[in-house]
Amino acid sequence: MMKKLLKAMMDSTSEVMETMFYFPVEFDDEPEPLDIDAMSEKEPCLACFIGFSGDFSGSFTLIMPEKLLMVMAENFMGEPGHMITREHLMGTLTETLNMICGSTLARFANKEPFNLELPRIINIPSGSVNDVFFLVRTPDSWMAINAAYEN
Amino acid sequence: MSYSVLIVDDSLPMRSVIKKTIRIAGYGKSAFHEADNGKAALELMEHEWIDIIITDYNMPVMNGLEFIKAVKDNELFKDIPVVVISTEGSEARVREFIDSGAAGYITKPFAPETIRDLITSLLGESDYDEKAFESDDGFDF
Repeated sequence: MMKKLLKAMMDSTSEVMETMFYFPVEFDDEPEPLDIDAMSEKEPCLACFIGFSGDFSGSFTLIMPEKLLMVMAENFMGEPGHMITREHLMGTLTETLNMICGSTLARFANKEPFNLELPRIINIPSGSVNDVFFLVRTPDSWMAINAAYEN
Repeated sequence: MSYSVLIVDDSLPMRSVIKKTIRIAGYGKSAFHEADNGKAALELMEHEWIDIIITDYNMPVMNGLEFIKAVKDNELFKDIPVVVISTEGSEARVREFIDSGAAGYITKPFAPETIRDLITSLLGESDYDEKAFESDDGFDF
């Protein structure tokens, strides 16, 4: 099931990024442990978490550099950077993960509705070198996304 | 044409995107009202005339489904068309919205013209200017 969930997550991430933010994205072939601590030390990053429940329960975590998030917010809202506030940035991040999660679960199990929690900003997961994240490459940046579930 | 549009979503950027999309769709003279959950929207509706409601589902305090039911249970509000824009795209959830009285449903992520087409079908003619959609503001209808 994990393979199916990850495939749905990749398709949904591509759709969200291209439809709402005008960003083409590419994925590495396989998820791999990423040293998020090291990556976020190179440039400031923000992280977001959303849980869900239904036929099965789980969560998604999304991490991305603030610089990418600023460009996404500009594209999303059609506003120049100086008009983008911190609230816009946080809202863009939570809305992005909300759309990825909702779209993934709709693809994964279309019959029964899942209940989505409200997405929330979290600290960068510490010591996440052992967490399996998908690295998502954008033309000039990256983001990392993790999906976890339990029956 | 000028309408009074209520946008209910806990995401500030999403409210801005929806507002901008509706403006560009030819309803730029409309008045826009915003609320970040269903309860705040109901309070706003007590003192503002509203022609159409665009609401999210997943919100704190009062979610979109509870909000639609409250609108449809209210004699003053029940005829106001409600459009749901949400990530919740399962068949069962969409059926819940429609059965509760929603006039339309759009799944996020959405193309701007999807909102335009649905709003136009509900409100009728707009001052739609095709050239306005070809502007450089990130919206390409």
